[in-house]
Amino acid sequence: MKSKTLFELIWIVAVLIILTYAAVANLSYLSTQQQNIANPAGGDPPGVLINVTGYQWAWQFTYNNGTVMTDKLVLVANTTYTIVVTSKDVIHDLYIPQFGVQVYAVAGHPNKVSFTPNKPGTYIMECVEYCGEFHYEMRGEVVVLS
Amino acid sequence: MNFSFELAIFGSTIAVLIIMGFLLYFFVQDYRKSLLSKEMETAPKEQANAYLSRIRRELSFSAFIMDDSKSIGIRYLITSLAFFFIAGLAGVGMRISLWYPNPSYLTPIQYNILLTEHGTLMLYGWATGSILGLGYYLLPSLLKIKKDSLGVLNSIMYWFFAVGGLLLIFSKSTASWYFYYPLTDQLTQAGGGQFSFAALIGVLFILTATCVASIIFLKMIFLDRDEKIRISSMSLFVWSIVATAILIISSAPISMIADGMVIYDLINPIYFTGANSTALGYAIMFWFWGHPIVYVAVIPAFGLIYELLPKYVGKPVYSYSSGVIALLLLMIFSGTVWGHHLFNSGLGTLWDMIFSTTSFIVAIPSAITVFNWIATIWSGKVKLTLPMMFILNAIVDFIIGGVTGVMQSDVGVNALIHGTYWVTAHFHFILLGVTTGMAFAAIYVLFPTFTGGRRYNSAMGKLHFYLTAGGTYVMTIPWALGGFEGMPRRVAGYFGIFQSYQDAAAIGGVILGIGQLIFLINFVYSAYKPVTISNDNILEEASS
Repeated sequence: MKSKTLFELIWIVAVLIILTYAAVANLSYLSTQQQNIANPAGGDPPGVLINVTGYQWAWQFTYNNGTVMTDKLVLVANTTYTIVVTSKDVIHDLYIPQFGVQVYAVAGHPNKVSFTPNKPGTYIMECVEYCGEFHYEMRGEVVVLS
Repeated sequence: MNFSFELAIFGSTIAVLIIMGFLLYFFVQDYRKSLLSKEMETAPKEQANAYLSRIRRELSFSAFIMDDSKSIGIRYLITSLAFFFIAGLAGVGMRISLWYPNPSYLTPIQYNILLTEHGTLMLYGWATGSILGLGYYLLPSLLKIKKDSLGVLNSIMYWFFAVGGLLLIFSKSTASWYFYYPLTDQLTQAGGGQFSFAALIGVLFILTATCVASIIFLKMIFLDRDEKIRISSMSLFVWSIVATAILIISSAPISMIADGMVIYDLINPIYFTGANSTALGYAIMFWFWGHPIVYVAVIPAFGLIYELLPKYVGKPVYSYSSGVIALLLLMIFSGTVWGHHLFNSGLGTLWDMIFSTTSFIVAIPSAITVFNWIATIWSGKVKLTLPMMFILNAIVDFIIGGVTGVMQSDVGVNALIHGTYWVTAHFHFILLGVTTGMAFAAIYVLFPTFTGGRRYNSAMGKLHFYLTAGGTYVMTIPWALGGFEGMPRRVAGYFGIFQSYQDAAAIGGVILGIGQLIFLINFVYSAYKPVTISNDNILEEASS
């Protein structure tokens, strides 16, 4: 085999191996951890249910017992939660960086995502889909109690 | 009837304008005649235009009245450079305003106007416009075209492009370049801006011009080129334009339809609301074009790298065929990855699986392209001129931008970094390093031709390069680091914990801005020096 062809084959195969590994890892994550990524609401979600409504420009959290909180989410460590997120007006995007939780808030298209906080503390929470004048103020804190 | 003073002023103004228009037309015809050779003076317009677009041509405002391909190219280049500086000013303004966590000298509305102008003008005005300009300018000489028809259509489409850009500037839209549905139709200052529909019309104008120009590029390449140039030996820049044009024609119309539907929804909301659809319908239609446009912005830059690299290395491209195959694969795969912009929008696990896998696949032709460049550099000896510095920086920036990009294909990682400055860092590496860098490299290479035999100031050029490349790193590396910690993008203010990242990025942004000013000074200063060299350039060498 000519060295040039060999060289080209090596760089194609090497790239293929790395990318195939990454793609397979991603697919296995998707097929086993489905509840941890945003999906259309419905079915029987695991854990405690919290309804979230985004509107210009705040987040509203409604707990099962009727408690309503704005721009503040209080959770208990080592408990599984499922949030169902929707919007009153434009598209928003709820994002809790430290939990790796991100889910769009779309009017007429409620989404759910589950997560289990395991470390008590105070974290940040933001809207990361541009939504108008006070988009940057659509943020708050997440408190995880022990 | 009494003598009316106003009527007299009005009448004489119109008379003066008509006379000025006539004189302008006369002077331009004179200039055109001076460019033509003896036997071409009496030739039909089609052939005369073909001759005009094959010879070396200076930058001149006469191009705005002539309609051969080179003139159209010059029009696009001048206009897109103007848009680049306006949008760049908006970008630097945003950076400085983000020095403090709370909105400082820009109110949130002003910030959002600059945000929208920066995004739309940089992508539609500068990236697309400079590619159209270079395409119109270089294709006729690279292909030695035999006839240059459709000049009037080209000219009209250019004016569509220019008016579209002006609409984007003056609409003061705050809808950001996505123009996501419910926000764009909120015609208030707090929502999408009172005239966001004007910005949408501007986008439609620009996309119309882009589509028509793409069809004309394909016509030039496949129908009008010289018979001696076989398809299998066309230059790689021409191949990159083929890939770009097909990509534009196959994806832009979907977004244009969506824009039209949004405009209709202003009057009678039926498309993206109601029982059958949600606001995500617009997002899906938008990203069908919204992702290909970033490939539209880089593939011609790849072509320029392929074209220029051998000339500074002294060896031909390492593998011509794998270069062509990689460009065409990029064209095919990049049309299939757009869904990765909507991973977290709840379109289902299957959606995520399909588009994350295609996003991994699109990295393969990109990697082949980069390896091809590296092998070319390896096989020869590098001559480190100013354009070559831009090329090397483009390759490094593309590797960084590509790796930071392919990481986002993983859905789990995507939930962590989507919507943060990580994404901004990723595409600024590519759009600043590759698209803008290669456009500047091409301008520096073409400078003697643009100015009729003048040499740019090398020291100022190098300073421009170092400030641009350095400013890119100073600005984007803090973005990437902050983005990984959750620093959201498109915000007029932010949590205090991110201030160090934002301040570093602000310094980088100012460095970048100063660099571009130096480019402008260099251009104007060098263009009026005496003629010292021939007006030939290595990019159009093939034509002669």
